Amino acid sequence: MSDQNTKEAAAKSRSGEENSPLISRRDFLKIAGATGVAVAFTQVVTSGPLSGDAIQGIGERLHAGEGSEEYDWHMVIDLAKCIGCNYCVWACQAVNDVPDDNMRWNVGFPERTATGEEFYMTRPCLHCAKAPCVRVCPVGATWVRPDGLVDMDYDLCIGCRYCQVACPYDARRFNWREPTGENQYAPTWGSTEQPRRARGVVEKCTFCVHRIDRGLEQGLMPGVDRQATPACVNVCPVGARVFGDMSNEESPVARYLREYPTFRLREDFGTEPKVHYVRPENRRG
Amino acid sequence: MAEFATASQQRMNRALMGWLLLLSALLAAGLYAGIQVLIHGLHITDLSDQVAWGLWITHDLSAIALGAGAFTFSAAVYLFRIKRLEPLARPAVFIGFLGYTSAMMALALDIGRPDRFWHPLVYWNVHSVLWEITWCVILYSTVLVLEFVPIIVETKWFDGWTRLRQFSHNLHKATPFFALFGMALSLLHQSSLGATYGVLSGRAIWFKPSMPIMFILSAIAGGMSLTLLATMVTGRLQGRQIIPLTVQREISRFIGYVLLGYLYIKLWDWAATSYYSYSPGIADALARLQATTPYTLTFWWWEIVLGGLIPAIILLYPPLRRDNNAVAIGLALVVMSVIVNRWNVTLSGLVVPPEWSPGVLGSVVAVRYFPTMIEVVVSVGILAYALLFFTLGVRYLPIYGNRESSH
Repeated sequence: MSDQNTKEAAAKSRSGEENSPLISRRDFLKIAGATGVAVAFTQVVTSGPLSGDAIQGIGERLHAGEGSEEYDWHMVIDLAKCIGCNYCVWACQAVNDVPDDNMRWNVGFPERTATGEEFYMTRPCLHCAKAPCVRVCPVGATWVRPDGLVDMDYDLCIGCRYCQVACPYDARRFNWREPTGENQYAPTWGSTEQPRRARGVVEKCTFCVHRIDRGLEQGLMPGVDRQATPACVNVCPVGARVFGDMSNEESPVARYLREYPTFRLREDFGTEPKVHYVRPENRRG
Repeated sequence: MAEFATASQQRMNRALMGWLLLLSALLAAGLYAGIQVLIHGLHITDLSDQVAWGLWITHDLSAIALGAGAFTFSAAVYLFRIKRLEPLARPAVFIGFLGYTSAMMALALDIGRPDRFWHPLVYWNVHSVLWEITWCVILYSTVLVLEFVPIIVETKWFDGWTRLRQFSHNLHKATPFFALFGMALSLLHQSSLGATYGVLSGRAIWFKPSMPIMFILSAIAGGMSLTLLATMVTGRLQGRQIIPLTVQREISRFIGYVLLGYLYIKLWDWAATSYYSYSPGIADALARLQATTPYTLTFWWWEIVLGGLIPAIILLYPPLRRDNNAVAIGLALVVMSVIVNRWNVTLSGLVVPPEWSPGVLGSVVAVRYFPTMIEVVVSVGILAYALLFFTLGVRYLPIYGNRESSH
């Protein structure tokens, strides 16, 4: 009797299992498959071809080979040394052919610290390692080169100005009008080395990328040899701007950064700028 | 029949003629202003390197948001098979089509190189939210055209075109697929338009994950409101009830609930970022906005009270919901609120740029932006385009059923 009961119970439980199993083989395969696809997807998104570091858009690929990982270009602007002559602003306008004063890539203006000390503030493009402008460009017209420069392809730009909206440092300029007219800064402050950009595209400071690339080809060292160094750095009469390769410990910029305490603009934005500033209060004899 | 062309009908026809003429004149003026922009460049706008987006981006965002009725009603009718909403599917698609084409017109003028509008399709940056939006908007506009083709092909002008009719019939059979595809695309780009601002770490007032959610919710509320409002106005002018009152009230109530959801998120967005916490970037931006712009008025009164709370009450409180005039006002307020919101969002982040200078003099308190006449005329022209084609469409296309057969 009891034997029969157990048999029945066993049969019942078996049939119950068959009718409503917790997880059937089919379901298991489905779940496993879906999990697999999800894992693969997250892998692709986080470290694969769609990952944040992998793709900056077509510009980067079209210009592959420009800029080498061997170098890491940084700039120091010593606000304690700067005398506010504005030469760096004008030299930039001459060399990069920016005739319109409203479109200055490298801006300068009188400033005062919270404690009342006067100084002169200048700001080129900061060439952020995590550049917000690069991330947002819908056509990949701007990208971070392997050597850290934020470069731009003016032939790709559609002029949507999202990069201007994204840049928290106001470093980008749009060609609101036909860029006609004489450049009053050339040749007084340098001869024009770059073609003027077309109406309707955004433009920006490049750290004089043309000088860097050409200079390296000729065996010159940017930041040391003048022909390979940004115009604003060369023209400074007091050496308030220092440029060079941070991957070389003996470069002028690396030595300067070792010697003086510096800060970068609004580090809280997470942009990791390549331009470092010496505080204006750090006056030295 | 001729005797029945009564005086009131003649008055109506004359009013319609005047309306069409007015819209045509505004459209012509907009066209002229648009050509001026193409000839002279964007410097004839009041946009600047600091306020790089303005009225036209607001127009573009509003037109897309208010076109969201197309995907909501298409999904409701063709995907979820809610039969009683069927009379609204076509007007919703039509309004969506007009909205998206309006947005494209505004964008074509706003970008510096309209000749390169196709670049995002060929030159990809998959990490740009704007790239995703471009793709979604172009694909979704295609969906809208495909949903719209059968409406045109149905007219008597295409009576002889048997093959086209057959093609259109086949298209119509694919509507559930279009509705699904359209819903997916819309959920993506309507949200991403908010993310356009929400992902920018440099602008504290924008940088928050609630942005895309607030955009999609306001788009659903605004898009459905505009479709329902246009239907009610058309019905009033044609002297007939296009949709049963019960359906009108059901949709009104639904919009009311979406509005409540939207207000709930807005409330916590404000409470979590400004009231219960102190975020230096947000507090600073708000203080500067309050000091230099009517932001308090346009945000709290226009967006929240006039555009949110009042329509929510109208659409959810049954005695008011039974009053057609009140409902029409409520729906119009929702539409207004979406437009004011897109303006507020765009301008609030731009006119008070983040401070980056280490000194105290160089920080910009606020950048001025006031649209120039050219910008306004272009915008009015695009609005006139939408109204003109809506009027003509309602009159000559089977948007709201066949008028003759209802006699």
